[in-house]
Amino acid sequence: MQWWCSAQGLAWSWTWRPYVGVWILVAVLVVWYVRLARRSGGVPAGRRWAFAGGVASLWVALDWPLGALAAGYLASVHMVQFLLVALIAPPLLLLSIPEPAWESLTRRPAIAGALERLTRPIVAVIVFNGLVWLTHWPRVVDGLMSYQAGSFLIDMLWILAGFVFWWPVVARVPARARFGYPRKVAYLILATIANTGVFIYLTFSHLPVYATYELAPPIPWISSREDQQAAGLLMKMGGGLVLWTAIGILFGRWYQAEEGSGAPRAEKA
Amino acid sequence: MLLSAAALSAGCNAGAGERAAAEPAQPGLRGTLLEPSWDKPDFTLTDTEGRAFDFRAGTEGFVTLLFFGYTHCPDVCPIHMANIAAVLQDLDYDERSRIRVVFVTTDPERDTAPVVRAWLDRFDRSFIGLRGTQEEVDRVQAALHLPAAIRQPSRPGPLPGAYAVGHAAQVLAFTADGRARVVYPFGTRQSDWAHDLPKLVAGWRRPEAGRGAASGG
Repeated sequence: MQWWCSAQGLAWSWTWRPYVGVWILVAVLVVWYVRLARRSGGVPAGRRWAFAGGVASLWVALDWPLGALAAGYLASVHMVQFLLVALIAPPLLLLSIPEPAWESLTRRPAIAGALERLTRPIVAVIVFNGLVWLTHWPRVVDGLMSYQAGSFLIDMLWILAGFVFWWPVVARVPARARFGYPRKVAYLILATIANTGVFIYLTFSHLPVYATYELAPPIPWISSREDQQAAGLLMKMGGGLVLWTAIGILFGRWYQAEEGSGAPRAEKA
Repeated sequence: MLLSAAALSAGCNAGAGERAAAEPAQPGLRGTLLEPSWDKPDFTLTDTEGRAFDFRAGTEGFVTLLFFGYTHCPDVCPIHMANIAAVLQDLDYDERSRIRVVFVTTDPERDTAPVVRAWLDRFDRSFIGLRGTQEEVDRVQAALHLPAAIRQPSRPGPLPGAYAVGHAAQVLAFTADGRARVVYPFGTRQSDWAHDLPKLVAGWRRPEAGRGAASGG
């Protein structure tokens, strides 16, 4: 029995398969959140929903069938998985963290110091884009996806990249008074530009770049070239949709903050 | 993309004197070069229109890619066919018109002529599909130093009676001078075909063409 989805070289079948590693990850997150909520004296419904959305995104992305299709059959589904794991789940999970938990982080100097350095916006955008490039490099994908541990590593790198990327935008700590709404918007716009490289590479490479998907047992309704183009377009359009939605929300909050204060100022949290 | 000679000829039942040694691809080709090269075999099977197809005569003067497989094949066969078809679409007309792709079914029981035709048409309508009795197909494969196809026990599944057929996974490439020169194992990518097919077209012409004919094996 497999514990994590990886490329198997077997013909695709709609027969359900269990991936215990994904269930353990989900269970660990749920247990962690329940304990966090108890320690925090309860969590508002909005944050609970954010947590549910974040965990559901991870579960759907990593478990059968999406996880299995993404690992060994379709680059386009691999990209959907990336969007869920790196761009959708992390901000929801960060939004779900209750206020007292954020405050407790600031009381631990070592953690606070590490977070301060790692989540500087310029560092975060470089780490995120570096990991995105690395995990979409054909040699890395083809070298890792046929192993459960390799596939797991890519998924964990995506989660890490997502948390690092979204931290400056969503997280309460470390407080960055100068990184207000205008800069957050600019940061996200920069990110939409940065993912263009992978998009261009996948969409406009005439030949399939990933042996994993080119030589996978075929899925009847899509060729390997179409699949790769779909992957590139999904990265651009799907990623753009997520990022521009976030930009829209930030603009809304920025507007509300301006209205509330009556004068331009940086965001507090 | 290299494959060892041992892997290519596993199960091969050709005579030792005829058996060719597969060498690593020479610079310039990504497939595995056959040295010495082989003669194009002389056999006749039935095409998907029900007509007798003389392989040697019907492909004379063309670069010919010959593959043995079956239409229920879940992986190797459709991947080879799809990759070759995709790259053929990229070639210019002159190159493409010098190439023939011939598919011989190793599962004549299920692969009736209409089934083979419909399956090949998914990839390229110009692909030639051939059928014969199991004995005829086995003989042709033996002549090409390929192992005979073997029916394998079916796995439990939704289709009762479904079975798989173990068969040689490589595509044999014959150049226009009628020699088998290169073998393309499973794992050959579109980039490999795109690299090699124009070279195969340009590299070995028919002797009577008298232009750039390379020495045969």
